[in-house]
Amino acid sequence: MSGSGLIGAPLTRREDDRILRGETRYLDDITPSGALHAAFVRSPHAHAAITAVRVPADAAGVVAVLTAADLPAVAARYPVMEPRDSEVRAGEAHPVLAEGEVRYAGQPVAIVLAPSRALAEDGVELVDVEYEVREPVLAVRDSDLVMMGWSARRGDVAAAFAAAAHVVSGSYALPRLIAAPMEARGAIAEHDAAADVLTVWCSAQDTHRPLAQLAHILARPEHSVRVIVPDVGGAFGSKGVVAPEVAAVAAAALALGVPVKWTEDRLENLVGAYQGRGIEGDLELALDPEGRMLGLRARLWADLGGYLLTTTTVPPHTAGTLITGCYDIPAAEVQVRGVRTHRVPTGPYRGAGRPDAAYMIESLVDAAARATGIDRVTLRRRNLIRRFPYRTATGLEYDSGDFERCLDLALGLTGAPAGPRADTAGPAAGAVRGRGVAVFIERAGGAWETAEIALTPGGRFRVSSSSSPHGQGHDITFAQIAADRLRVPVDAVALRFGDSALTPAGVGTFGSRSVAQGGSAVALAADELVARARERVASLTGCDPAAVGHGAEGFSAGERTLSWAALAETVAEAAGAGGDPEPLEATARFQSANVFSSGAYVANVSIDGATGELSVERLAAVDDAGTVINPLLVHGQVLGGAVQALGECLTEEAIYDDAGQLRTGSFLDYSLLTAAEIPPIITGEVQTPSPLNPLGAKGAGEAGAVGTLAAVANAVTDALGGRVVAPPFTAEKLWRALGEGPAGSPPGPPVETTALPHTPSAATARRVRVLVRRGAPALALGLALGALAARGRR
Amino acid sequence: MKISVTINGTVYEDEVEARTLLSDFIRHQAGLTGTHVGCEHGVCGACTVQLDGEPIRSCLMLAVQAHGRSLRTVEGLAGSDGALSPLQRAFTEQHALQCGFCTAGFLMAAEALLRARGGAVSEAEVREALAGNLCRCTGYEGIVAAVLSVAEAPLDAG
Repeated sequence: MSGSGLIGAPLTRREDDRILRGETRYLDDITPSGALHAAFVRSPHAHAAITAVRVPADAAGVVAVLTAADLPAVAARYPVMEPRDSEVRAGEAHPVLAEGEVRYAGQPVAIVLAPSRALAEDGVELVDVEYEVREPVLAVRDSDLVMMGWSARRGDVAAAFAAAAHVVSGSYALPRLIAAPMEARGAIAEHDAAADVLTVWCSAQDTHRPLAQLAHILARPEHSVRVIVPDVGGAFGSKGVVAPEVAAVAAAALALGVPVKWTEDRLENLVGAYQGRGIEGDLELALDPEGRMLGLRARLWADLGGYLLTTTTVPPHTAGTLITGCYDIPAAEVQVRGVRTHRVPTGPYRGAGRPDAAYMIESLVDAAARATGIDRVTLRRRNLIRRFPYRTATGLEYDSGDFERCLDLALGLTGAPAGPRADTAGPAAGAVRGRGVAVFIERAGGAWETAEIALTPGGRFRVSSSSSPHGQGHDITFAQIAADRLRVPVDAVALRFGDSALTPAGVGTFGSRSVAQGGSAVALAADELVARARERVASLTGCDPAAVGHGAEGFSAGERTLSWAALAETVAEAAGAGGDPEPLEATARFQSANVFSSGAYVANVSIDGATGELSVERLAAVDDAGTVINPLLVHGQVLGGAVQALGECLTEEAIYDDAGQLRTGSFLDYSLLTAAEIPPIITGEVQTPSPLNPLGAKGAGEAGAVGTLAAVANAVTDALGGRVVAPPFTAEKLWRALGEGPAGSPPGPPVETTALPHTPSAATARRVRVLVRRGAPALALGLALGALAARGRR
Repeated sequence: MKISVTINGTVYEDEVEARTLLSDFIRHQAGLTGTHVGCEHGVCGACTVQLDGEPIRSCLMLAVQAHGRSLRTVEGLAGSDGALSPLQRAFTEQHALQCGFCTAGFLMAAEALLRARGGAVSEAEVREALAGNLCRCTGYEGIVAAVLSVAEAPLDAG
């Protein structure tokens, strides 16, 4: 396949072959000879001072035990991002290893190095840390330490509320979530003392953010750090900041002069990897008698955890900026307070503020529909933004979209009437049914990426991209883009990613930005290569470059045709003759403002009256990701995101007890959905190309995760007659809510306004449910062997 | 102690500690890194291999327990001519994998299911049989579709 047919072609991926053969190379598949293995002494307390660390003089098998004081290479704490117009306390940055205090259970205190991971774990048991335990702060509204603040205001908000016919308010809370990529984190660090280059193989989303973070922490020039990202087993936002453990591994490799390897295990990942969400908000909406939105007030509190990692500040800022959703709201006042608690830090997790904003504003709009008696779809239509570019009250500029088309398509895909609670009366005795509608918008793209392209012998092409994959399918997508521009078969284009020594600098893979930024860079580089090839053909043939034609056969100049292969040969011949070969290469850097993907999701649910169990019966997902390069992969992204969000609706929550201990510290307690629990998901597509890049692309990586929660939450509230319950919508919460009856108008207070505290029975019910639903006999054994497995590695 | 395990038809003999997990023996001593370790507490199924034809979680078994037994891992799925099996090809065609970390476990579980059932399985059966394996990327649709696409006589299409 070649030429223009490549854009929009559902081509299968080329990396699948080696994955299916078991020939991949993930981090733990790499072990340099002579490497020491690391394990970490972690804080058992949520908040404590460290008064002493005692290491036995003679710990069998242990090579070294290092604390913060023993890592001279560590020159600084984490670099911290300061979102536009925010106030950030950079002094609250995360240290590499604990510096005199611990602020969350699981915080790394010391690194233990041994010839095997098993011996290193044995060594951890021998280190005696003395703690002076302090009271943890866990509820966000109890915390008086604001680590990140941001606010925005436009219009006369007080006047809008004074003039309103209706004022509707709501309080909403999203629990903390764990990204839980199937491959946990890890790194290998090796220092070449002669060249003074520190090479770090890292399970990461990209190369250049880990590189910049490590260079900052270790106070090394960036050219003396090389980051190699091998195959990566998923990330979902959780591998965009190098783990403190990775920085410790790098510092230990520098200190000891040997390679050091750390492969995070699942128990470490659940306790110690930064989590997502953990945000709550109070919102108020002012409407005129016809339901036109006049003004919005929003106050958000984000649980940032004990310290700031590099991007901890970003999700609450994103939530704040997107809180006006798809609506034309003339006046708004938004305040975000990111506070310190004694839990592991938060950071980006698929959606990273976008689902938070969509859930809150869409819940509030449904509350407004109930309060005003206006049909919820009509109310949305009346307020949707229809002209672009549109500047929001929070300072964003939406580039393009067609929200109503998305809404119409989603409603059509679910079939039933669109009115409020139209199908609430369920057919099954004792079951209540509900329907939820949500529209959403997400910030995507933005900032820059780089691509290099080179013509290689045989008329093939090598493209090196700064944007780097971890499951999304960058390889075939970028090959389609390049081949389309070059007018060559897609198989003529090979991609190279993931090694800072071999690939150009860029920003990274996150926020649904790879195609819009990285893909556009590939397109521009390919265009530049075509232009240079045209000039080369002109000089070889004596033709005017403007008269040189470019097509599937290569280049034509008058009577002559030169294929790409022939051009490559001229380069090789020039080199062979000792001349200047002037390779045909091009580099392009593409930068743009943010683009905005959007969509509409509709969910039909039923709640079992006897047990409170929620069934999502049907989910319609309509996304506008701009121009789609590969619909097969976009479909996969939407489904994957939607199922992660269904987990957020049904089971997923990082639960902590009153002492700040994680109670969902295994996959039996932090329950991911399985193949047996997935409802029918029907997808639809609207494409409004972005005017901000040469492809018209936006992004789809987070879409499913953004729209699903809002739609399901509204369906649950609909089924409960207006009563708002905080996600996840567990059987216990819904059973209790059913017992309390429908809410009045305006709706009653949330059943739970914060994510905690939880009763022990909730966790027990969750565990039983998982065992029953999965029904695998091996699981009971799994519980018993959990501790053994943790002890018995390697 | 010294153990002898046959993996994909090749005999591997090595010294192991009593506490060495089978998953670690396969990966680090036999060097077959296609089998992945996702949770080490028996929930995620990434480490699923076949022991005498039956799918098992290699993180829940000690290496010494496999002494004298026969294992099959993902590296043993392709034909002797190197061609991918129909199930493996279906995984690509149905976009049943993204990051690929869970894929080996799904393949080993699904292959055992199809073999045990002579290829005749319904969608509900496939979903139930694969409910012991976690995938965080795909939402499972492609995986289920891939397995059903090679089932010889699907009992239902729905």
